[in-house]
Amino acid sequence: MLVAMSETLTTNEYTDDLRYEVFNREFMPHIDSMYNFAFRLTMDEDDANDLVQDTYLKAFRFISSFEQGTNAKAWLFRILKNSFINDYRKKSKEPSKVDYQEVETTYNSEEASDTTYTVDLRADAVQELIGDEVANALNALPVDFRTVIILCDIEGFTYEEMAKILDIPIGTVRSRLHRARNLLKEKLRSYASSMGYDS
Amino acid sequence: MNASSTTPSVTEVAQKQMKHTCEHHAECMKIIQAILDDEASEAEKDHFRENMDKCIPCIEAYRLEKCIKDSLNMKIVKKPCPDSILNTIISKINS
Repeated sequence: MLVAMSETLTTNEYTDDLRYEVFNREFMPHIDSMYNFAFRLTMDEDDANDLVQDTYLKAFRFISSFEQGTNAKAWLFRILKNSFINDYRKKSKEPSKVDYQEVETTYNSEEASDTTYTVDLRADAVQELIGDEVANALNALPVDFRTVIILCDIEGFTYEEMAKILDIPIGTVRSRLHRARNLLKEKLRSYASSMGYDS
Repeated sequence: MNASSTTPSVTEVAQKQMKHTCEHHAECMKIIQAILDDEASEAEKDHFRENMDKCIPCIEAYRLEKCIKDSLNMKIVKKPCPDSILNTIISKINS
């Protein structure tokens, strides 16, 4: 008598062939973006290598929790960001890291002064900056502010996708992004003036 | 003296109708960023359309924000993932 094997499988379960197929089709195309994200988070090539490898191996191991047809890139970025927080941030080589909570608290308490906040920086001065200078200004931001700018402006995620990747409400995405951009403008302004551009 | 030196030019007239200060600039900055991120609500889009052609601080802010966003997206070098990482991943998931 034949036993219906398929009865023991839920619809979410992947056959071995399907695991490899989904991995190659949905996950591998994002490896360059993942590598760049890892590098900008860790600021270290070896750590970025390890972080990307760990993330892809985790993604393969937990592939059955990936729902086909949903955004694979956001799913992968979320795993990478969680691995970074849990495994890498503690042993981060990043010097003089600013405690994020502290920064956010400071900025929240200065909400009032934030309303008149403007940075004296002109678009023409930014236009003169080269990629390395823009990257250095970005890298000088505390990691959580850096992260929202990377996700939004470099990787083009929507606020909703960012909220899922970062496990924070959309309102927090908006306000964190706003503060991150104010900080970035300050960094860009000091770059522009140090390069002798009229800021 | 000719007439043109006493008659305001078209741009001068236009500039007089322009706002040189923005009384709700902090709010406008949030709207400008939402517009550039393609995340603005209908109300924010309306506010933007009504104010953007007559408020100089907002026009300048829009140009600056757009320039920074474009610079981040286009000027920062994106490195390809090293082959060694790719090969390690592939060999590990196949073992």
